[in-house]
Amino acid sequence: MNSEERSSAAGTGPRARASAWGILVGPAFLGLAAWLHLGNPPAEIPRQEPMRVDTRRLTTEPRRKPSELHDGRPLIFVNSFLRHCSECHNFPLSEVQIRNRQQHGHIVLEHGINDACHNCHDLSNMDQLILRGGRSIPYADVPELCRTCHGPTFQDWQRGIHGRVNGYWDATRGEQHHLRCVECHDPHRPRHPAMDPLVPLPGPNTLRMGDPRWRAGESHEGPEEDPLRRVTVQSREEDR
Amino acid sequence: MSAQESGRDGVTRRSFLRGGLGAAGGLAAVAAAVSPLRELDTGDLTLERLLQKHYKEMTPEDKERVLERIRNEVQQRFEVRPELRDLPPLPGVEFAYALNLGRCIGCRRCVHACVRENNQSRDPEIQYIRVLELPRGSVDVERSEHHYDHLRVPSPDHYYMPVQCHQCENPPCVKVCPVEATWKEPDGVIVIDYDWCIGCRYCAAACPYFARRFNYAEPSVPKEELNPDMNYLSNRPRRKGVMEKCHFCLQRTRAGRMPACLEVCPVGARNFGNLLDPESQVAQILKTKQIFVLKQDAATLPRFFYYFDQDM
Ligand code: HEC
Ligand code: HEC
Ligand code: HEC
Ligand code: HEC
Repeated sequence: MNSEERSSAAGTGPRARASAWGILVGPAFLGLAAWLHLGNPPAEIPRQEPMRVDTRRLTTEPRRKPSELHDGRPLIFVNSFLRHCSECHNFPLSEVQIRNRQQHGHIVLEHGINDACHNCHDLSNMDQLILRGGRSIPYADVPELCRTCHGPTFQDWQRGIHGRVNGYWDATRGEQHHLRCVECHDPHRPRHPAMDPLVPLPGPNTLRMGDPRWRAGESHEGPEEDPLRRVTVQSREEDR
Repeated sequence: MSAQESGRDGVTRRSFLRGGLGAAGGLAAVAAAVSPLRELDTGDLTLERLLQKHYKEMTPEDKERVLERIRNEVQQRFEVRPELRDLPPLPGVEFAYALNLGRCIGCRRCVHACVRENNQSRDPEIQYIRVLELPRGSVDVERSEHHYDHLRVPSPDHYYMPVQCHQCENPPCVKVCPVEATWKEPDGVIVIDYDWCIGCRYCAAACPYFARRFNYAEPSVPKEELNPDMNYLSNRPRRKGVMEKCHFCLQRTRAGRMPACLEVCPVGARNFGNLLDPESQVAQILKTKQIFVLKQDAATLPRFFYYFDQDM
């Protein structure tokens, strides 16, 4: 018996085998089709309430508002009247710090060993500031005052490294606006972040930006590697 | 023998049914496989857009035609006529960025100013800048946290590291792009032509800084918040299925202005300028401060430098 005869005798020749495949393959395709259609809905893109950020919080204005200057002299509210310093300051002041001041109660000096008003204010003319050498300068030139004790920082500021330069990086094309020292630092308590922390704006929380439920140092397992992970508003709120 | 013969020549009812069943199944499977095409939104996909040339091969007339087409599209979509331009790189200028980590307080003003300026999708959310929070003394970026959610920043014992596209001199993302939809411009900025991008996301995988963002869904930007000051290679509106990332605000910086993230920084931690000008902010920083770059061992040669002030 050759092999041909043997298989045909058993009823499993190439023909018969092919038709058996047909029986198998047809339903297999159908099953696949059904699965593709029903079992695999298109991936849902996680969506979230759009973050609305108040434009006022994205201001490019300086963080601090220095006291207002009129003709180069500060003008302050005292008992709801706007006054120049010199309107009151026609009396002599000694260089000895006054213990319990009746005026200027809100001024608290926290400027390290720089702890005397007359280091900066010209006691003989309150409408001016005074440098260490005794020269008086107008309030508008406040960086010159800070320079006398903070030379390196002032240099950095001049070169645009310290502080901030708004406007144009290319000075030939437009105006560069160097923020002045007192637009960020209160001259009386110059330390910045600890004194005046900011409320952070919302962080990222959908899609490519990762899962907020994942915290650094905690589990590195789980779905956080998958950018198409379904993050919902609820999960964010539970997290709070 | 004769039964076999007839089976070979004619078609029996049985084999016909079998074959037909298989064919029908196959057809159904093919139909299922291409079924997403039914939902394919051709939208404003015009022949003009399909036939558009690569950015680098466009003549000035081609460009003007493309710009006009985009202006019209934007006007249709947002009811605003944009100031769309194609600003060329400035001669003798290479941009660089420096960030003072001793100053940054993690307030995320930069992140949101960037979203505004560059018309990023609000839903789903796309942000170019990520601000990482790290414990003081640690430099392990892998264990940093960008979802921090304090009432006030900075939180004690932490420091903050904003990360955005580093505009590498040796950009891995550009190398992997199969269609040259992203490339390095002469001023050092890596740009993307959103009309040329096929959305394969190789570049996002190649970027060691996780700086690229993909539009998995149709981006949505509120009409009233659209920034009409647009540039072809930077902040013009994107569509679903394209990559985007920080481009140093080309619409501003190529016109001489500062980037949006810098102008909004309340502590002045950010510095930007022309690396080739020795008087510029960044050149001065490179000269006088101890700078470092992120993932130096990736040999990407970033144009985005970090530094701490010495006296901090
Ligand atoms: C480091 C220098 C410096 C020292 C020291 C200093 N000041 Fe001032 N002061 C300034 C500068 C600069 C301004 C104006 C800038 C501003 O506030 O916008 C100012 C403004 C003021 C103002 C008007 C603004 C306001 O907030 O009412 C008062 C009042 C004042 N100083 C009082 C004092 C008193 C009192 C002391 C001593 C306890 C003192 N200063 C110590 C630099 C100094
Ligand atoms: C309403 C009047 C009034 C105005 C306006 C005024 N001062 Fe005075 N200031 C006083 C009085 C009164 C004192 C004396 C201290 C005390 O007993 O309160 C004083 C004290 C001071 C002292 C010395 C404090 C010390 O401890 O030695 C400084 C410095 C000073 N003023 C700065 C200013 C500056 C700067 C301005 C303008 C921005 C200003 N003052 C505006 C009334 C005023
Ligand atoms: C008379 C000298 C003097 C003048 C003028 C002066 N400072 Fe200071 N400043 C100091 C000293 C001293 C310290 C160091 C404080 C310390 O480390 O304890 C200091 C510290 C600082 C600090 C760091 C604060 C901290 O806690 O880290 C800032 C910011 C500052 N000054 C800003 C200014 C500004 C802005 C001006 C100008 C309005 C100014 N200073 C003018 C002497 C001065
Ligand atoms: C854009 C805001 C801004 C401006 C403008 C600015 N500073 Fe600062 N400065 C900061 C911040 C933020 C810090 C870090 C805060 C801290 O640690 O207290 C700082 C820190 C300092 C320090 C502490 C030492 C250091 O370098 O960390 C000094 C001194 C100082 N500034 C002086 C000045 C002087 C002088 C000027 C003006 C010539 C000025 N600053 C302008 C934001 C500013």
